[in-house]
Amino acid sequence: MHPSRNRRPGELVFNLILVGASLFLLYSAYGISGFEALSSPGAVPMLTTAVMVLAAGRILWEVLRKPVATDQSFIRDILPMPIVVTIAMVALYALALSRLGFIPTSVLFLIVMVRYLSRRGWGFCIGVAVGTVALIYLVFRLIFSVLMPQGIVPEGEILAWFSRLF
Amino acid sequence: MDILSNLLMPVTDLKLLGLIAVGTFAGIYVGAIPGLSVTMAVSILISFTFSWDVYPALALMIGIYMGGVYGGSRTAILLNIPGAPSAIATAMDGFPLAQQGRAGEAIGIVTVVSFIGGFIGILALALFAPSLSDFAIRFQPRDFMLLAIMGILLVGSLSGESLIKGVFSGALGIGIGAVGMDPLTVQDRFVFGFDELRGGVSFIAVMIGMFGVAEALSQLHSVNTPAVKQRITRIIPAWSMVRKHLPLGMQTSTIGTVVGALPGTGGDIAALMAYDYAKRTTRNPETPFGKGAVEGLVAPETANNAAVGGAFIPMMTLGIPGDAVTAIMIGALFIHGLNPGPMLMVEQPHMFWFIVGSLMLANCFMLIFGLTGIKLFVKIVELPRTVLIPVILILSIVGAYAVNNNVTDVYWMLGFGVFGYFMKEYGYPLGPVILGVILSRLLDDNWRRAIISEQESLGGLMRGIVTSPLSLCLFLAVLLIILSNTPVWRYVRRNKAA
Repeated sequence: MHPSRNRRPGELVFNLILVGASLFLLYSAYGISGFEALSSPGAVPMLTTAVMVLAAGRILWEVLRKPVATDQSFIRDILPMPIVVTIAMVALYALALSRLGFIPTSVLFLIVMVRYLSRRGWGFCIGVAVGTVALIYLVFRLIFSVLMPQGIVPEGEILAWFSRLF
Repeated sequence: MDILSNLLMPVTDLKLLGLIAVGTFAGIYVGAIPGLSVTMAVSILISFTFSWDVYPALALMIGIYMGGVYGGSRTAILLNIPGAPSAIATAMDGFPLAQQGRAGEAIGIVTVVSFIGGFIGILALALFAPSLSDFAIRFQPRDFMLLAIMGILLVGSLSGESLIKGVFSGALGIGIGAVGMDPLTVQDRFVFGFDELRGGVSFIAVMIGMFGVAEALSQLHSVNTPAVKQRITRIIPAWSMVRKHLPLGMQTSTIGTVVGALPGTGGDIAALMAYDYAKRTTRNPETPFGKGAVEGLVAPETANNAAVGGAFIPMMTLGIPGDAVTAIMIGALFIHGLNPGPMLMVEQPHMFWFIVGSLMLANCFMLIFGLTGIKLFVKIVELPRTVLIPVILILSIVGAYAVNNNVTDVYWMLGFGVFGYFMKEYGYPLGPVILGVILSRLLDDNWRRAIISEQESLGGLMRGIVTSPLSLCLFLAVLLIILSNTPVWRYVRRNKAA
């Protein structure tokens, strides 16, 4: 959390979005069952979204009264390139997970991310990626039987081949 | 004599002793990994302990349960990512301590107080199980509703610098908890035509997104800053420190036991309530709350471990689960031909004493395993952030996916992670969002049950509250909490202190 007496870049827009979203949610909550009864399914949602509208409105009022911080910029202080790249990479990971499968997607994600952030050699990045994914696979897939998306790697056949060895 | 032999059975039988040790050890690491839950581990165990005798099966499950509740604190302290919902409050003061290079000390304190809390919970189970379950069964929907309101008022403690932002976050959390089909009328709420939303938003995906992804993104601001070197001079806390916090620990353990014994609640709510209690009652903490206060570790960790013993009380005496894990354990007992409830206590009291003995032993193993390996564990924080952040992200993704084996949960996690990041940047506290999600169902369902039982009459509800001693006590506690958040109260306390 960054408490600030000055209005940070993007703070006004963020709070405007919150006010708008809260109003929309209040309208949606009203649409559930209106003022039908105190025990209606929309009663608590209406109350909570009304609180959201009031709180967001009050926060917006406070934000509007703050002086603008002149020593900060949105690109440098709020959303610098490493954060944009990381968000994009996680989104790409989620999109590729079902198609490529857990193992290749995770190894690729880690190689790219460690390389981008650390600028270390490829050997180091591949080592970290493969080691981490192997450990996660062992714990989640083999011990806790969490079925990760298989994708292009024939995991079932590989595991069966290994089990035949022992 | 019979009681003693059943109580000591897990100690005298080497196989049972070994299983409890293995279970507790595994539980600590299961609890520490976000996305892997004790509930998940115990459900998996049912399938492969199916053919076992009931004693070894229960011994292993109890070990995992005890270790898992404690284990959630590890990643909460080291990475600000609670391994389990019951460790959310621990992160608030544990992570600041790790940032000061005192992660080893924090884990040491947490381990010792968890042992104390666990011990008190088990003692309550052994001594007061019937009377506590009688108390728990008297709770009416209006009492659960008042309990949920008390929980919501914790927003005041979790808000940090801005109460109004905390209120917004808490309301948002309740709203998120309401998404999906209404369980009482099957009417859609905030679904907007998307079938994926009918089942609701995964609480774990919200938690991992808000704490894991948002934290990882925040840390990218200082990605090239060298990691804080951890000072590991002392792991076992000094006796004077334990003694100093023992009164608070006893009080919060009581909160944990009682909340744990209430069906439908659990260690997560107990820990948050205890944190709030500590914040309200600690006059002059050495370090302020939220910046590494020891009291902020003592309260939630004693409470969530005490809640383990508490959760067994309604399970053993009434056959009603205290939380998700005891619900699965009831299933395990059924599979083994036992019927938990009042008759089990009468017909097979040895089972009750065996469970008490196993919990005691698991609690001791938790202390031993908790205090060993800390030096190695805290090395995680010393890893370069350029490596640690991608690893946190991949663990967060896998953890969110593992809950329902569903990629949609990964999208939710990412969405809440990015939103949580912006909230953090603009000074919104994230704790109240999670608090709201946890309490949403408790509040919504019980408000509606309470008002339906009074034929939609608010006057009737109020009459019910003032005429029931239990409801009246809870109502007065709610009023007291509201009053203690007003400037008048603070003025009176300041004057009194002066």
